[in-house]
Amino acid sequence: MPRIDRRTALTLAGASVLAMPALRSARAQAQGSAKKLVFGGSIPLSGGAAETGLNVNNGYLTAVKYLNEQGGVDIAGTKYQLELRLFDDASDPSRATTLIQRLLDGNADFFLGSFGSNIVLPTAAITERAEKPMVQAGGGSDQIFNQGYQFVFGMFPRATRQFQSTVAFFKTLNPQPKTFSVIATNDAFSKTFAAGIVKDCQAAGYQLIENYLLPEQISDASSVLSSIRSKTPDMLLCAMHDQNSLLIARQMIATGTNVGLLFQGLGPQLASYREALGKHANGIFYSTYWDQRTTWKDPFFESPAKFAEYYGKNFTRPIAYHVAAGAACIITYVKAMQAARSIDPVKVRDALAATDLETLYGRVKFTKEGDGDAVAMGPSVGQVLKSAGEVVYPAGGKTAELLWPVPAWDKKS
Amino acid sequence: MLREAIARQRWWILAALLGLAVLACVPFVLMPFHVRVGQLILLSTALGLAWTLLGGFAGYWSFGHTAFIGLGAFAAGLFETQMLGTPFMRAQPLVGLGLGLVVGMGACAVVAGAVAWPILRLRGIYFAVAMLGVAQVLSELTNSIDAFKGSMGLVFPRIPAFGLRQEAVFYYLLLIATAVILAIAFAVKNARIGHGLAAMREDEDTARMLGVPTERYKITMFVLSATLTGALGVIYAHSLGYITTGSVYRTDFSLNMIVYNLLGGMGTLIGPMIGSVIMVVLTQVILGGFLNLHMFLTGAMLVALVLAAPRGIVGTWLAFRRRRRDAAA
Amino acid sequence: MLALQTILDGLVLGGLYALAAVGFSLIFGVLGVVNLSHGAIVLIGAYFTWFAWHVTGMDPLLCIPPVMLVLFGLGYIYQRGLIQLAVDRSSLLASMLVTFGVALMLRNALVLAFSPDFKSISPGWAFSFLRLGPLTIDLVRISALAASLALLGALAYVLNRTSIGRVIRATAQQELAARLCGVNARHVYAVTFGVSAAFAGASGAILGIVLPFSPPDEANWTLNAFVVVVLGGVGSPSGALLGGLLLGLISTATSQLIGPAFPNVMMFLILVLMLMVRPAGLLGNAFAGTR
Repeated sequence: MPRIDRRTALTLAGASVLAMPALRSARAQAQGSAKKLVFGGSIPLSGGAAETGLNVNNGYLTAVKYLNEQGGVDIAGTKYQLELRLFDDASDPSRATTLIQRLLDGNADFFLGSFGSNIVLPTAAITERAEKPMVQAGGGSDQIFNQGYQFVFGMFPRATRQFQSTVAFFKTLNPQPKTFSVIATNDAFSKTFAAGIVKDCQAAGYQLIENYLLPEQISDASSVLSSIRSKTPDMLLCAMHDQNSLLIARQMIATGTNVGLLFQGLGPQLASYREALGKHANGIFYSTYWDQRTTWKDPFFESPAKFAEYYGKNFTRPIAYHVAAGAACIITYVKAMQAARSIDPVKVRDALAATDLETLYGRVKFTKEGDGDAVAMGPSVGQVLKSAGEVVYPAGGKTAELLWPVPAWDKKS
Repeated sequence: MLREAIARQRWWILAALLGLAVLACVPFVLMPFHVRVGQLILLSTALGLAWTLLGGFAGYWSFGHTAFIGLGAFAAGLFETQMLGTPFMRAQPLVGLGLGLVVGMGACAVVAGAVAWPILRLRGIYFAVAMLGVAQVLSELTNSIDAFKGSMGLVFPRIPAFGLRQEAVFYYLLLIATAVILAIAFAVKNARIGHGLAAMREDEDTARMLGVPTERYKITMFVLSATLTGALGVIYAHSLGYITTGSVYRTDFSLNMIVYNLLGGMGTLIGPMIGSVIMVVLTQVILGGFLNLHMFLTGAMLVALVLAAPRGIVGTWLAFRRRRRDAAA
Repeated sequence: MLALQTILDGLVLGGLYALAAVGFSLIFGVLGVVNLSHGAIVLIGAYFTWFAWHVTGMDPLLCIPPVMLVLFGLGYIYQRGLIQLAVDRSSLLASMLVTFGVALMLRNALVLAFSPDFKSISPGWAFSFLRLGPLTIDLVRISALAASLALLGALAYVLNRTSIGRVIRATAQQELAARLCGVNARHVYAVTFGVSAAFAGASGAILGIVLPFSPPDEANWTLNAFVVVVLGGVGSPSGALLGGLLLGLISTATSQLIGPAFPNVMMFLILVLMLMVRPAGLLGNAFAGTR
C-alpha cells in the first residue's frame, strides 16, 4: 500500500514540475504584444536582509504599477510598458550569478541591484561585462564603487562618505560634545561606515575614546556597555543593521547606560523600532535619506506625499525610505532613457552618468564611480521626537525642532 | 586490483570518457545561462564526489565540509592578492591561479592533517557535529581577524578568457576538476584501500581486528577529501570574483554535499552525479523563478527525498532490479 | 569590579542559553536525533508569544504555559509523523537532513506569516534595572534567568521523580529492555519530543522579551544549543544548565578579555576541543546519543 502512495506522489510531483515551465512560457507569450521594457534583478527575500529586500521590492512594484497605469512611458515617441523580472537570491552568490545570467540571456537590458556587497559585486561583474547598467538601492560598501565599473550606480553615497553631513550637524550643537565612541558590527558595510565615522569625527576635532567591534549578529552587548559605563563618551555612534541597533538601545536602557548623544545609522527609521522602545526612543539620532513631508518635485508622482499616498493604497506594509529608493531607481532609469532618447543600454548608461534630477527621493546625481553624490544624496540627520521620526538637519529640510541636550533614559517623557 | 577493475568496468569508463567529450562541447552549443547551470552542476558533482571519499566510502559523514571550501578560497585569495600582488597576477594570471590552487590545497591538507587524528576518533553524529564546529571556527576566525579580510571581502584577479566567454572558462576548469576527482575516486574505490574502507564502513572494530589499518586509511581519506574540496573552493572563489566569509563558509554547502550523495546513492560514484544534476536543476532552474516560496519547497523536497528514497536513486534501482530478477527466477 | 560585572552578565546570559538548549539536549540524549529545526521551534515560541502579547496585551511571561502546551502537541505530531518515519526508513544521520528540511520550511513559513521584519516584545517592565552598588543588572534578564531556572527545575523534577520521567530515562538507556517491560517506545519518544518542543517554545518566549528576533535567527539558536549540549553533556537539565552557564561566562569573558568580536570563535573552538577531549560532555552519562 505505501508503495502505491509513494509512486502516485512522485508522479504527481514530476508532472507538476514538468508543467511549470510550460505554463510560464505560455504566460510570457500572452503578454508579448505591447512594447516592453524589462528590468531584471535579484532581491534578498529569505536571508538576513529580507526586510530591506521587501521594502525595495515594494518600491519597484509601486513605480512600475503607477507608470503602467499612466499608459506606460514615452521614450523618443514610442510607448513602453514596464515589466519586472525579479528573483530571490537567498543571499547566495552562486544562485545570484546563475539567475542574473538567466535574465541576461532572456534579454533583460536593465538591472536592479541586490543587497550586500558579496551579492552585488559578483552579479555586477556579469552585467558590467555584458555592458548593461545596474542601478541599485542596497549596496553601499566602498568596494562596489572602487572596482572601476562603468555601469553600476547606487542610490546612496558609499559607506565611508555617509557620515559627512552628520558631523557638520554635530558642529552646530550647543553645548558641544567633545568625545565619541563607535560600535560597529563585523560586516563589510558597517565596518566601512564606521571607518568613515572615525575619520570624519577626528577630522572635526572630536576625540575617539573607544572603537568597539561586535560580531555580525549580536545576542548580548553587556561587556561593551559596562565598558561604556566606565569610559562614558559624549557621543555613542552605532554602525550596524536595524535589529542589532534595537538590541543595543534596549540593553542600554535596561542597564541605565547613559551617553550624551546616541546615534544609530539604521534602526530608528523603522516604526517597529520606535514602538519597541516607546518614550525611550525620543532623542535618538539617525541618518535619514527620505521623508514623505519633503517638497521635492517628482516628474511622475509630483511629490513624495503623493507617492506615499499611492503606495498606501496598494500596500499595507508601512512605508520606509528603502521603498522610495527602490521607486527612485525606476524613475531614474526612465528619465535617463528619455534623456538619451533611446533604450540602448550603453546610451542609457551615459545618460545615467550625466543624471542630475529631482525625484520623489530627492536629488539624484551620481559620482564618477557611480555611487550617490555625497552632498546631493547624502543623508539628513533625523531624531526621534514624540515617538515619530523627524528631520532636524539641515535647516532647509527641517520638520521639527531639535531636542538638545537629550535627557537621560529615565528622565525621558 | 585496480587493473582488474579497469578491465571489468571498461564500458563504464568508456561511457565516462564519451560523456566528458560531450560535456566539453556544451559551451559552444548552449546559452550562457545553461553554461552557468552546467558550471554549478559540475561544482556540485565534484563537491559531492570529494565528500563521498570520506563520507560515502568510509561512512564518516562530515557536516562541515564547507570549512575546506572556505579555507581553500581564502588561503588562495590572500596569497594571490597579498603575496603575489596585482601586477604579478595581471601579468601571469594562470601561473597565479596555479600557485593559488597549490596554496589553497596545501592549507586544507595542513589543517585537515592537524585535526584528522583527534577528530576521527569520534564516530557517527559526534564526528558530524565536530566537523560542523570546525567549519564554524574557521568561518568566525576568517570574519573576525582583520588580516584574513573575511568581513571586508577579497577581490580576485580576473582570469583571461582565451577568446571564450568568461563563464565557459570556469566551466572548463570545473570540468577538468570533476574528471580528476572522479578518476581519483574510481582509483580509491577499486584499490586495496577502497576495499578496506568498505569493510570499515560496515564494522570498523571488526575490520581493525581483521588487520585493516583503519586509522591510516581514514586519515588518508580525510586529508584527500579536504584537499580536493579546497581546490574546488579556489576555483569557485575565482568564478565569483569577490568573496566575503558568507560566500564560501555556507552551512548549505556542507549539507548539500550530503544531499547529493543521499539522493543519488551513498557510497557510489554515479550517485553524487545524479544527485547534483537533480538538485541543481530543481532548485536553481525550476524553483529559480519563485520569489518567496522556494526555500519552503526545497525543504519539503529534502524531507520527501529522505522518506521516499532512503537508499538513493541508485540503491532503489538496484533493489528494484533484484526484486524483478527474483520474481523471474 | 569589572570582573564581577562580567561574571554576573555571563551567568544571566548563560541561564538563557541553558533553557534554549535543554530541549535539544533531551532529544539528542533520548532519541539520538540531532534536531536541526530546534532553533525554528524556539522562534515559533517567540512568535506565538509576540502575537499573544501584541494582540491581547497579556504579559509575555503569562504566555509561557499556553505556548508550551501548543508546542507539546506540535512536537508530538512532528516526531511521530515525520522523524520516527525517517529514522525507521533510513538512519539517524539521515533524519538530521529531515530536520534541516523542516527548518527551511519553518523559516520560510515564518517569513510568510509574520513578514521578515524583526519583532520584539517589550512589556511595561522591560526597561527597569537593579543597581547593587556598582553592579547593574536589568530586570528583563534577571527575570529571564529566574524563569529559566524554574523551568529547568521543573523539568528535572519530571524526569527524576515522576513515572513518565522514569519511563523516558529507561527508554533512553535500554530501548529493548524498556519495550520488554511493556513500554510503548514510540509513544515515549514522541512525548519526549513534545516536552523538548514545549521547552524550546518557553525559551523562545523568554528570548523574545530579551532580544529582538527575526526568522533567519533560527540557525543561531540551533548552533548555540549544539555548543551548550557538547559542553554540558547530553540529555539532562543539569548538563544543559552547566553548559549554558559556562557558555555565558565564556562569551562575556572573551569579549571582555580578547575583544567583543570574538565570543563566537571561542564558543566553537571550545566545542571542537571538548568533542575531541571529552565527547560525552562534562556531565556525560550513558544516554543513547553518547554511545
